[in-house]
Amino acid sequence: MTSLREMKEKGYIPQRTQVKLIMGGVTSLGKLLIKSPGDIKRLRQMEPLKERYIRPQRAYNLPKYKDGMKYCDSEEKYLRPTLYCNCQAPEVIALANELGAYKKSDREFAEAAFHFVKEKLPLEILPFNEVEVTFRRGTGTCFHLITAFIALCRAAGIKARYKMFAMNMIQAWYDSTIDVDPVVKKWYDSMGYFMLEGEGEAYVDGKWIVSHVGPKAERQAAAGIPITKFGEDSIGVWFFALPGTTMRMESLPYGLAAMIGGAKKLAPGSMERVNVSIQNQIEMGRKIIEEAGGVEAYDKQARKKKGPKQPKMDLNGRKEIIFHE
Amino acid sequence: MIGFDEYIDKFNKCVGKYIPPRNTWTPADEALYKPKDLFRIPLKEAEQLQFKAVKFAFNHHYANNKFYQGFCKENNTSPEDIKTSDDLVKIPLIPDGFFKDYPHGREFATWLGNILTGDLPKIEIKQRIPTYDQVIDAFNKAGMLVSYSSGTGGRHTFIPRDQRTFFASEYAIAKSAVTMMYPFWEYDSSGYLLMPNPKKTNIYAGKVCLVYFDAIQNVNVAIDREITTELIQRMMSGGRGLKSKLIKLASRRASRQMIDDIIKWLEYHDKTNEKITFVGAPYILYFVMQKLKAQGRSFDFGERGGVATGGGWKIHENVRLSVADFRKEVKDVLGIPEKHCLDLYGMVEGNGWMAQCPEGHYLHVPYSYYKPIVLDDEFEQVGYGESGRFAFLDSAASSYPGFITTGDRVKLLEHCPVCDRPGPVLEPEVKRVAGAEMRGCAEEMRSMMTKDIGR
Repeated sequence: MTSLREMKEKGYIPQRTQVKLIMGGVTSLGKLLIKSPGDIKRLRQMEPLKERYIRPQRAYNLPKYKDGMKYCDSEEKYLRPTLYCNCQAPEVIALANELGAYKKSDREFAEAAFHFVKEKLPLEILPFNEVEVTFRRGTGTCFHLITAFIALCRAAGIKARYKMFAMNMIQAWYDSTIDVDPVVKKWYDSMGYFMLEGEGEAYVDGKWIVSHVGPKAERQAAAGIPITKFGEDSIGVWFFALPGTTMRMESLPYGLAAMIGGAKKLAPGSMERVNVSIQNQIEMGRKIIEEAGGVEAYDKQARKKKGPKQPKMDLNGRKEIIFHE
Repeated sequence: MIGFDEYIDKFNKCVGKYIPPRNTWTPADEALYKPKDLFRIPLKEAEQLQFKAVKFAFNHHYANNKFYQGFCKENNTSPEDIKTSDDLVKIPLIPDGFFKDYPHGREFATWLGNILTGDLPKIEIKQRIPTYDQVIDAFNKAGMLVSYSSGTGGRHTFIPRDQRTFFASEYAIAKSAVTMMYPFWEYDSSGYLLMPNPKKTNIYAGKVCLVYFDAIQNVNVAIDREITTELIQRMMSGGRGLKSKLIKLASRRASRQMIDDIIKWLEYHDKTNEKITFVGAPYILYFVMQKLKAQGRSFDFGERGGVATGGGWKIHENVRLSVADFRKEVKDVLGIPEKHCLDLYGMVEGNGWMAQCPEGHYLHVPYSYYKPIVLDDEFEQVGYGESGRFAFLDSAASSYPGFITTGDRVKLLEHCPVCDRPGPVLEPEVKRVAGAEMRGCAEEMRSMMTKDIGR
């Protein structure tokens, strides 16, 4: 059983901001349930003639774990197993080895893990599970996928952690993930933002490098945004973080999984509608990439459209601003 | 009828405190304060004024703003590259999202201080984790005028102006409106500000209207309560807790009272001969007119009435009122002629105010100190007559670099198709670029108020 000390150390107990955001989301959803019970009941199920969600086949072969495969068994912070992220699970070790753990440089491996999770595991909204289950299934929510990336990095001896924030998103993302279901739309609109989104960060060459493994290239093409690379943030491309909500942590907190599970029980139809839309987006993006002449050609076009880069702001203090202790 | 020069001299006298002493004028000041009519400067003369003003501003920010200098270096552009008017488009443009991408607490103060060009006054932050309002208050106590807009989705746009830049912005909005309203404006008149009280908010759209109190004799204010970033958050986010509930209850009552107060004010002025004006967000006047229509009432203020609006053309979440329909309503319900109902287009990031002409209601650009640019999907400049993303080079921004791309979609024309003013115009309906976030203080206020009055 996990001790209170371990819970604290590994960050299983949600941070204050997380609690506030989760409570906000739950209250908002609760209000929705009270105000529109009829809608919720009706939307729990898919309409009979509507397209149903069929999970895509796993896009890779899961390598077999063999005794003697190298892995990191450190108990150091950011390298050890955490909630839903058992980086010492056989499936994780086998995959990390196949992706070149301990043969490639840290950067090369992190990039390989990033590309693998981002392009081989499509997004599917579903309840939370252990990371090895995610690898067996081959799909997951952004938190499943971030966990998959983090587990691979940790298995290869690269420190990795979560970055979380409340966010709002570009219109194209909203259209494909929020606007496709009336309940999800009402929920999002009532808050004006989405309560929790995440990214992974890997410690490579002395720096924490951000990566968002959530969207496949096809989904990004369908939204008209560049195909992001390892080291590129989702913030400023398709998400906008709410100021003051960005948190970094070693583990997913308690409560998050229960919330996703609760949402599935409450509104399975809503989840299915979003999943159908995601698959349609992937299909649409595939055509866009084909028409553009491939991923690289599409990415070049999209980056041109994205416009000038944001200026870099150095947050070194100015002597005229005096902070009293 | 009063001559235009005499008319504008009278106006300049009323707003004298906004004009810096002549011996301190920079080329940017020259371009804003010197021309009597900002919209009738001969093109050649305007081009020279604009070039000198924008080049001066670019040199100033390049020399005195570390982050902007770094940005220019990244874009391989320096003041030496700006030799003629044609080179102005080489000036690196800051995406508007940059001003929304701010940290929290003390870092927010540092971020704000680093956007500022030149010297900061001494600013004292007492709190360990200051709120946004506390940081803004600390800056403003030190003589700055930090204002913000659009908390859409929880993110405001913060712009640090010094007193000189804020005065320029206020002067520009008033001069643009008064010029286009010629010969309507007179000091001895009454007005209703359809915005938050400038003395009780740092929302830019409200704050910039402080000049209204100097431009005419009597001003009433529609939203006379303190509006802070915290209040906006609580109002917009379905805030929880007793405090939020109380705020919402009070706000709902105040909004209903506001509509009734405006109607009472109209009734009073119906019996006077004074000129009256409404300045601010169109949806407030829209709600007033809806109530009057529901009561089967109307007024006939005729030529002694004027309306100057800004932004917020959405009435409900999915209903957008056209500027033309609004003018027609104003004519039908208040009896104010369409030529006296003008819209102004501006934004918190800039100090240029595109003002509609009374003849055709096209948005005229103040082209002596402000260069409009339209960009295509790949952020390349397009010519007149093509639609695209609006960007601008604003020489009146001296406390921050006002070279900015926006999320607004516009069509820029070389001349107004209706009137004879020589400068460039925007088509009257400004929309958002697909994919950009909803923007606008007026939109925020509208959203708050629509909730308030339960529509």
